[in-house]
Amino acid sequence: MKKSKLSLVLLLVSLVSVGLFANGTGETETEGTGTAAAATDANAVTLNILDYSDATAPGYEKTKAVWQKFDDENPGIVLKKEDLTNEAFHQKMAAYVAAGTIPDVMYMYPSGRSAVLHEKHLVKDLAPLLGPDFLSHFLPSVTDPTDQTSGYLAELPQSICYSSVMYVNTKLLKDNGLAVPTTYAELRAMVPRLKAKGIQTVLMANKDDWVMQSCLFSTIAGRFVDKQWVNDAKQGKVKFTDPQFVKALDFVKQLYDDGVISKSTLQLAYGEAPGLFASGKAAILIDGDWKQSSFVTDQTTGQALISPEDQKNNIELKAFPAIPGEKYPGVVSSTLGCGYGISAAIPAGSAKEKAAVELLKYIYSEPVQKHYLERGRYITSRIGVTSDKLDPLTLKMMDYYSTIKNTSYVFDSALDPSVYTVMNKVLQEIGLGTKTPQQAAQEIQAAMDAYLASK
Amino acid sequence: MKSNYRQEKGIGAALWRFFAYLIMIIFALLAIVPLVWLVISSFKTTVDFQADMLGLPKHFYPLNYPQAWRIGDFGILFGNSVFYTVFSVGIATFLSLLSGFGFSKLARKSSKPIYSLFVLGILLTTQTLMVPIFLQVTQLDTLIGGGLAKIGLCNVNQFHLFYDTKFGVLLVYIGSLLPIGVYLCTEFEKSIPTSLVEAALLDGAGYLQIFIYVFIPMCVPIIVTLGLLNIPTIWNEFALINIMVSKLSLQSLPLGIYKFSGTLASDYGKEFAALVIGLLPMLIFYLIFRKQITKSVASGAIKG
Repeated sequence: MKKSKLSLVLLLVSLVSVGLFANGTGETETEGTGTAAAATDANAVTLNILDYSDATAPGYEKTKAVWQKFDDENPGIVLKKEDLTNEAFHQKMAAYVAAGTIPDVMYMYPSGRSAVLHEKHLVKDLAPLLGPDFLSHFLPSVTDPTDQTSGYLAELPQSICYSSVMYVNTKLLKDNGLAVPTTYAELRAMVPRLKAKGIQTVLMANKDDWVMQSCLFSTIAGRFVDKQWVNDAKQGKVKFTDPQFVKALDFVKQLYDDGVISKSTLQLAYGEAPGLFASGKAAILIDGDWKQSSFVTDQTTGQALISPEDQKNNIELKAFPAIPGEKYPGVVSSTLGCGYGISAAIPAGSAKEKAAVELLKYIYSEPVQKHYLERGRYITSRIGVTSDKLDPLTLKMMDYYSTIKNTSYVFDSALDPSVYTVMNKVLQEIGLGTKTPQQAAQEIQAAMDAYLASK
Repeated sequence: MKSNYRQEKGIGAALWRFFAYLIMIIFALLAIVPLVWLVISSFKTTVDFQADMLGLPKHFYPLNYPQAWRIGDFGILFGNSVFYTVFSVGIATFLSLLSGFGFSKLARKSSKPIYSLFVLGILLTTQTLMVPIFLQVTQLDTLIGGGLAKIGLCNVNQFHLFYDTKFGVLLVYIGSLLPIGVYLCTEFEKSIPTSLVEAALLDGAGYLQIFIYVFIPMCVPIIVTLGLLNIPTIWNEFALINIMVSKLSLQSLPLGIYKFSGTLASDYGKEFAALVIGLLPMLIFYLIFRKQITKSVASGAIKG
């Protein structure tokens, strides 16, 4: 009896030990990628990578193959890749920063959530590492470091994000004897005719408070104040209560008062808008450029919310029409996209630095960027990358980009969270009619004053 | 008169019962409808879901499940979740019983402050511990690895005993379960008569024997309660495992499911399938142990 109990305890201990240490100490295998040759090569350089990886992103599975290819072609480099998304990514990065052990290569933002990497100069300047020849293949606006918090090229943006696009259902307009509006007066004039048929003029998912700020207000404000004005506001030199900024808030109120945007949109959740627009419940959808991925063909099922034929014939992408009294016509809000940076802790000129640069040049190479473009990840900032496999809407989005001559800040990329969250809230309150534009401006300025005082 | 009173009482009781059932049905529906909606939506394609969020699937698409299973690497993560849950809950329960025995029956002057320190742990939230734990485990690895490197036993950068190991995760999980475990076990074991210990001592038994042969059989109710409280806690734990490991081979199910939460665009079909996969084990757990869970919650309420 005693012997059998002893055997049981020994068996349990063995099981725990095997379980604990089979994947435990001293493990050197690469995750997801990795070749046996590299793993056993004593001179192999190991790169720790923290990547932002959303399993629901288009072409997620194929992304693994992209990294695997680099691994196969570079036996001297071992990739130890960690894939996280959303808050899991940000929490882990915060822990790495706190411990002073940031990864060798990491996915990062040009500002905002990656501000600490920029402000503490924890990542290298990529300009000298990648070189002018390589960077000449990218749009000048993404290699311009002024929009990055660090003031240097801490990450190379993979794309430019235009946060305001009017998706116009031209067939629906034509059926009702209407045309794509070019001025606000034309847009407002459409309301009664569409309303009579139970069709919304402009659809926005305003239940999520960031949508109005990011997808429309940043553009409206950009028509009244320029980037320098916003920079001055961030330093307290001008105020959000100044008349030119209040005009932008007044216009938001007018949109609701005129019925161009229905108050019912304040109850519409972000995921609900594409289905309503695709089913003809609204003539125009205002959202970011990323929303096109909801309409194009899903590569897993071959289905599309808007068929490629309809995308080609019945959908147009336009900037918001001319606003009465606007000072900067045609401006659309945009922000630099995310990209990869290299840890400043890697010694200059070391084999590890060379390996990291090699990896970045591969990720930003034409074949890889084309691969991502074809899978609907983003419209790349690399010049001349296109494909004949794209849905018509993606091609139209590329055309839309080329029509934008001037851009404004997206406030949630330009301002501190303590300020833009207040802006988000008061924009909803203007829609609800519980705050006047003047009161909203005062509240935003109060948040900015508090932020400046805390610095 | 009497029959009128009875009739009125009967109507009143029936009305009372009707409203009571109505409220219970509403609350039951509030809990069940989202689950049913989730399961139905998991058989829709993303396009179908966007076109009609509430309706039945136009195209029944069960492939969301194998695709989500493969993309999320759930085969690996599932095994890890079972491992972490079984061993951390098992070991933490045993250590809690042992501590409870010590604090309740072998009390010394130092017992009270040590017990208070354990109980203090109940007040600490996971969020406040995340960065300090990460710092501790990485610095301990560097310290021990550095020492071993000096005598040529390993490369300091490759040495991991606490960070990125199952051992490290178990250590942290067990630690996180001990405060509530020690508190509940101590309180429970206090109610076991000390005369039993004294009688066993007179019979020549040692403390370990008393603990194993007398106390553990009497502590079955608290063992069940702790199991029912801690199993879902560890199974669903996300914040600590996120900072404790970086290798996929060590991650658990909640991390895999979280990968399906897109910020701006979502593949809803696979996302819902992933959620159902994560939900099922706990649903089965609840269905099997629902009576015991209700009892343990009730006993917890009385203790509180």
